[in-house]
Amino acid sequence: MWQKSPNHQNLSEEEERNALRKAPSLRFRFILAGVLVIGVIAGVAVNLVFDYSQKLADLSYDRLLRSALLQMDENVGLIGNEVSIDIPWSAFATLAQADEDRVFYKVESVEQGFITGYRDLNSEPPKKPVLDEIQFYNREYSGEMVRFAWVERHLTDPETAQTVRIILGQTRLSREEMASSVTQRAIEIVLLIALVAITLIVIGSHLVLRPLHRIERALEERAMGDLTPIDINTPKETHHLKVAINHFMVRLQRNLEQLENYTADAAHQLRTPLASLRALAENARDNITTGEISSEPISSDILSSNSVSSKKHHQDLENIVIQCDTLSQTITLLLNQAVVSHRLQTHHLESVNLLEPIRASCREQAVTALHQGILLSLDCELQSAFVLGDSFSIQQMMQNLIENAVRYSGSDREHASEIIVQVNEFDHFYRIKVIDYGDGIPDIEKERVFERFYRGRYDIAGSGVGLAMVKDIVDHHSARILILDNEPQGTTFQVDFAKFKTDEASA
Amino acid sequence: MKSYFLLIILISLFMNGSLRAAEPVWFGDENAPRILTINSALDLASFEPILKEFAALHPSIRVSYRDVNTLDLYYLVIAEQAAPVPSLVISSAMDLHLKLVNDGYAQTYQSDVTDQLANNFKWRNQLFAFSLEPIVMLVNKNAFPGDLPEDRQSLLQTIRQHGKYMRKRIGTYDIRQSGVGYLLASQDARQADATWGRLLEAFGSHDIQTYCCTHEIIDDVADGKLVLGYNLLGSYASQRARDDDRLKMILPKDYTLMLMRAALIPKGAPNARDAGIFLDFLLSDKAQAMMQNQGLLFPIRPNFNNDDDHYVVHAPGPTGIIELDQQLLVGRDYAKQQRFIHNWEVALEINDEPIQANVEDVVKEDNQIMKIE
Repeated sequence: MWQKSPNHQNLSEEEERNALRKAPSLRFRFILAGVLVIGVIAGVAVNLVFDYSQKLADLSYDRLLRSALLQMDENVGLIGNEVSIDIPWSAFATLAQADEDRVFYKVESVEQGFITGYRDLNSEPPKKPVLDEIQFYNREYSGEMVRFAWVERHLTDPETAQTVRIILGQTRLSREEMASSVTQRAIEIVLLIALVAITLIVIGSHLVLRPLHRIERALEERAMGDLTPIDINTPKETHHLKVAINHFMVRLQRNLEQLENYTADAAHQLRTPLASLRALAENARDNITTGEISSEPISSDILSSNSVSSKKHHQDLENIVIQCDTLSQTITLLLNQAVVSHRLQTHHLESVNLLEPIRASCREQAVTALHQGILLSLDCELQSAFVLGDSFSIQQMMQNLIENAVRYSGSDREHASEIIVQVNEFDHFYRIKVIDYGDGIPDIEKERVFERFYRGRYDIAGSGVGLAMVKDIVDHHSARILILDNEPQGTTFQVDFAKFKTDEASA
Repeated sequence: MKSYFLLIILISLFMNGSLRAAEPVWFGDENAPRILTINSALDLASFEPILKEFAALHPSIRVSYRDVNTLDLYYLVIAEQAAPVPSLVISSAMDLHLKLVNDGYAQTYQSDVTDQLANNFKWRNQLFAFSLEPIVMLVNKNAFPGDLPEDRQSLLQTIRQHGKYMRKRIGTYDIRQSGVGYLLASQDARQADATWGRLLEAFGSHDIQTYCCTHEIIDDVADGKLVLGYNLLGSYASQRARDDDRLKMILPKDYTLMLMRAALIPKGAPNARDAGIFLDFLLSDKAQAMMQNQGLLFPIRPNFNNDDDHYVVHAPGPTGIIELDQQLLVGRDYAKQQRFIHNWEVALEINDEPIQANVEDVVKEDNQIMKIE
């Protein structure tokens, strides 16, 4: 009828945690993608800044260099036919703004050769020389990288014409310092922005996924069996999810209702013909009995043969009646189980007096037990015993335990004719004991008795679902059940319920 | 090639007797394991107490102190660049020292003490100034005609009024022989070009006497042979003026040049570690206080609390501190130097063969070297 996951209940908490750990995380993907993108952008930005700061430093200090070069150039002149230069103090004052940088220069003319400055300075520019055009370039000199400005121009005079070349250089200390300070500042800012962006992404991912968590929480916090639609406000993006969940729940509810109806129908449909069958069998049995009486004058041999066959018939019909009763019981049990499981799914546990359902079930079972010659006694000195539970379910549990005890007590032994139900109080829990003196349960079967449809002995009537139901109820109440052996024989089912500890309960 | 020519020039300098490499003076224990060699253009009279104090503080260091002329100091550093002899070189010719650093002859030194030194008193952590002194005029009160001059203008006036008397009675540096003399003259020209021109003209027309060294000028002023010494180092002048009633030190009112004495550790110098220790000592509160209190030098970090102290400069007019930066290179530009010295020679009508005309000659200009010889 339904597709089911094969073992959805069997996931332990640890397995679930492992599965969760292995599962891909939306948030992690979102953050990872964001961080990667921001990292790449920051990297590119830092790279650009590095480049830019170098250029910026060169740009600023090249201005100083150009200014100094032009001041020198302005003071080049012809005296007689000789090129001469009077370097102005201000030219080097300009350069002194780069306060730690060494200065090198050379003035020469094509015709006259070296005029002043550093003789061994290489005066060839890296690019093709163009008159009156200043070239900037880096070149090593005196063991240090030096930024040079280079210019060449004609000096003309009525009598002579000369080509003068001025090379002015400055070490790069201040430039590097400026570039690194700009870079450092920029990197600080880039890092700050990146951190802020990553923080925003983390916060954003939380905000984006929050509606999902809200739906999750709404589903998680629902009472069992609550299949009403989710009506929390969620953003557009999760609307469809919500709608799908609600549709799914409607379908589930419909299925459950059908199942409930089907169970009730089945029980009802079975009970009616079963009752008729039983009545018919009883009638037939009774007819044979009366026939026997009325046909007394019939010859004894016929009678004897008739009597033998009618006795057998009577026995058969009697068996049919008994089987009908057993079947009826089983149907009732199944129905009860359906009710119990429904209640467990739908009803909240509440504070109940444990003694009430125990007393009720003892009262109910006492007569049935007596019919089988078994004395059922309740041994309890408590006034009240409050636990968190469902009264109906506990009663069903007790009923099944007692029925089970009665069934396996066997009527053939004298000392097995007693079942004792005990309730004792401990510090944190109440202990219920159902003690019988029947044949007992072999150790290897103890583990299996709670399995559905497992029956220890097929010579004794039983449905095989009673103890399974007991186990369900015990589990649902977070209680603990143990099967103990009695001396000299018999079995004790021992169930511990935790005390319900509130002021009202103790009052 | 270069070093070969340098050798020639150095030998020729020895012949001429201009490289007056005096015998070193030793301080400290003879058996001390370490030797600190200092070449310095600083009179021992001003420096001896400091050297003694240092030797007492550091018994394991023996100090060898050699007095060398500022220009010779410069040549020596370049000549010995492969294997420097001194661990520390001290000079008052800031421009030459700065040029040495600029041209890569000095090594870096850094310590807590040098870090505390103001940025304008050091350059590249290779050149450290430890004293800042005024450049003064020194007059013989008895011999000077008329009122004592307050500034350059009043000096010019006196020269004009007492032309005949002043002839051959003013002394100053021979800027061709003295590194610091050149520096002061070039700074004069820079500070006040017109005044400098008039001064030079007046000096020339009155047969100014030129000297290599401060002490000879001061001696002659004290004797009355000269009535005025122009552009003298304040520390020496004030020392002598303090002890000699005839002398009076004048800080020119129009502007007073302020000169630093600076030290550098040559690249590859032996025992650079002890040179650093000595430098730290020179800049220490103790040595600075000694300079001020004992009247040795004008400290770079004077204690302004003793206000009436001689060794705190009270200039009557503006001070022109000669800045310790790249501008000093301009004064030592080859072309500028040639022209400046030429103009100076022309103005002073000096035609005798110059001993050393130009710093650049030695290092850069091979032809010039031949010319010198």
